[in-house]
Amino acid sequence: MSKGQKERRAIMSGALSFSRLQRVSVLSLLVILGAYTSYRSPTFLTWGNLVDNLLTNAAALGIMAAGMTFVMIGGGFDLSVASITAVCSVVLVLCMDALSSFGPVVAIPVSVLLTALVGIALGSVNGILIAHIGVNPFVVTLSTMLVFRGIALILTGGGQAKQVADLALRNQFNWIYDARIPLFGRSYQVSMPIVIFVVVLVVGIYLLRFTRFGHYIYAIGGNEEAARLAGVSTRRIKAATYALCGFTCALAAVIFVAYTATAQAESHQGKELDVIASVIVGGTPLGGGSGGLLATLTGLILLQVIQNLLTQLSVGPEYRPVITGLIIVVVVTIDVLARRRSSR
Amino acid sequence: MMQNDHNPAAAARTVLLMSGIVKDFSGTRALDEVDFDVRRGEVHALIGENGAGKSTLMNVLAGRFSDYRGQIIFDGRPVRITSPRQALKMGIAVIYQELRVLGNLSVAENIMLGDERSHPWTKRLDRTFIRDQALRTIEYLGFDLDPDQSVGQLSTARQCMVEIAGAVRRKVKLLVFDEPTASLGGEDVERLFQVIKDLRAKGLGIVYISHRLGELPRVGDRVTVLRDGRKVGTRRISDCPVSEMSRMMLGHVLSEVFPEKTNRPGKCILKVRGLSRKGRFEDISFDLHEGEVLGIAGLLGSGRSEIARAIFGADRSVGLVEFQGRAMARRTPGRSCRNGIGMVPENRKLQGNIPARSVGENLNISILDRLAGRLGYQSPGRLADHARSMVERMKVQPPRLQTLVRNLSGGNQQKVIVGRWLAANPKVLIFDEPTQGIDIGTKAQIYKLIVKLAEEGRGIILISSELIEVGKLADRILVIRNGRLAKEIKGPLMDRDIEMLFEACVREVEHG
Repeated sequence: MSKGQKERRAIMSGALSFSRLQRVSVLSLLVILGAYTSYRSPTFLTWGNLVDNLLTNAAALGIMAAGMTFVMIGGGFDLSVASITAVCSVVLVLCMDALSSFGPVVAIPVSVLLTALVGIALGSVNGILIAHIGVNPFVVTLSTMLVFRGIALILTGGGQAKQVADLALRNQFNWIYDARIPLFGRSYQVSMPIVIFVVVLVVGIYLLRFTRFGHYIYAIGGNEEAARLAGVSTRRIKAATYALCGFTCALAAVIFVAYTATAQAESHQGKELDVIASVIVGGTPLGGGSGGLLATLTGLILLQVIQNLLTQLSVGPEYRPVITGLIIVVVVTIDVLARRRSSR
Repeated sequence: MMQNDHNPAAAARTVLLMSGIVKDFSGTRALDEVDFDVRRGEVHALIGENGAGKSTLMNVLAGRFSDYRGQIIFDGRPVRITSPRQALKMGIAVIYQELRVLGNLSVAENIMLGDERSHPWTKRLDRTFIRDQALRTIEYLGFDLDPDQSVGQLSTARQCMVEIAGAVRRKVKLLVFDEPTASLGGEDVERLFQVIKDLRAKGLGIVYISHRLGELPRVGDRVTVLRDGRKVGTRRISDCPVSEMSRMMLGHVLSEVFPEKTNRPGKCILKVRGLSRKGRFEDISFDLHEGEVLGIAGLLGSGRSEIARAIFGADRSVGLVEFQGRAMARRTPGRSCRNGIGMVPENRKLQGNIPARSVGENLNISILDRLAGRLGYQSPGRLADHARSMVERMKVQPPRLQTLVRNLSGGNQQKVIVGRWLAANPKVLIFDEPTQGIDIGTKAQIYKLIVKLAEEGRGIILISSELIEVGKLADRILVIRNGRLAKEIKGPLMDRDIEMLFEACVREVEHG
């Protein structure tokens, strides 16, 4: 092959990279499904359903998926996110309860801060074991998933639902979920969870695209040994992604507690799979090296829209896992086939 | 130009005849009317720069493409090869540079893979059958292999022998070697050449692809040169000196490849004393001076790469490393990089590049700390400007920042790694096998760069299996044998002294 020919091939593969192809397929699936549902159910394509209902409910999950995206771009994996969220919820409620006598101005910020620290600490446990000691991420987070869940059970004395006793404080904390910020007049408002989610996305995209930290995460996911030999502190960066993921779990816990006003040790079970599914469907591959937060956002919305429209179309709940599972397989298969074709 | 003899006796001995082979990749022509033939009991070398079409031609033969044009006559019958399975069934096997053995299985299990026999009822695997059959093949080939040993524990050369045995067991008539010596040390190369000669004596047709022109007279009978997807010519190797081969490949002569040495060694910049790593190397001491190219020569496995890795901090080691008069304890790649020591690692694919990321990202990775603005902001414009200047300086083809590194040729991938280190502006730069598997054009460029970097006052450590590189470029050569510093030779060497350097590298092995 001459150089000119190689060049042309390289440019072509650059123009339609895999993740972009997957994003196109996800987006077109979204549009098709959306069009069909809005035809069948007039309430689907309304601000109230899509933003107020769907996106607000998905925000906490999306925040967890944002943290997971960092971990997975770096080639890692975290099964313990739901357990971390459970521990954080319990800590948040217990802490607020304990501090309720100091009034909301003290109790809420201190509790939230402490919850965030707990999230970071639990994430760091994963990070240190995986990055510094070198244990397989699947094994580590499978174990910590159980251990953290156990900690939540112990903290709640065997799994009782915990609630902040002070009703005034509880109502004030609910503001984090209930507050609505008007966007265009009264009929187009966004909720606090969405605001928090957007802030997380903006900060996350900044970190991934415009900082050394982000560039290094992609490098580590692409080829960890090469990144290390290029002078990157791979262990520290990898550990940091897990800590960051723990932090996003704590943020999600804040929103969950604000919504339900209670914390249960056994809550959120199985959410780790929803989170991972959103990241993968979005286009961040297992093994890392590519992907991004906008990709995860499209993956999250696709899965949430499917849930939503199954409700709208009154499909029985027994069919939903089947459909969700099929969508994941189809999207990932398209990606694999595209890769195979372009590697020929 | 063509010297194919067309007498009937030769035709009867022909096992493979490819004529007018054309292969297009999405509108661009990779092979243009290429003719190629191999006789029984012949080693036919196939050479050309990277991208000349050697691999594409062999991939046609191995059944990787179904949309080639042209005629193939194999074993006297016209055939169309459309799948790897078919190629193997007909009797064509390719031994790739990256071996395809299963390290967790035994030698016998590897050789017999796919032809196991089990008990008709209990389906119990017949291990005696596997072992006996494998042993028969090993004995037929006269290989020195233990059928029960785990393949993962074998040296690369022996793993290669396992793969050859597997192919021979399938009754292949044509065996293709794709750069088999690229990852072998001197002793193993000799062993492999002997194996190839034995296979030839047994009447197999052999295609031998290599970048090391110097080894062809020792192993090949005829040579075919490809350039830009076209055949330049076929010659008897005995009638074709290496300079003629390289002229056919490129249009210019090999001796022009090595630049004039204009660097002058100055004061000491890196002092190594008593450096050891258990089981790899022991008590290595030397000085590296500013403006000096220090060669490290030794067989694969002698510990030469491990020494470089230890200095750079990629592996742990004990001993003193002093850089510009300051002892560097607890070396890590990150610290070395910040202090001004760089390393172009041995294995481009596994250690050098991040294949799925772009040229721009790969070029910038080592200097992001210097490019960062407030809040750690990496301005895309500044990153692109910087990467673009490196792409121009290293002449990376294609000169595009967004191209993924995995889509570049081997030579251009290496340019990206070297460019990354140039950007970091290190005072000491270690090159570990910088020209492995890359075309001569890029090799020449890297040689020139090494001398120029030394001329600028940097200390260069050069490690290479191609002794001629070390001999021609280094001011001093350290010979490493069995993990110990065996000899120091003053460079640069004349052509005839290269043989002496080779002797120095292998002596211990032969007597020990």
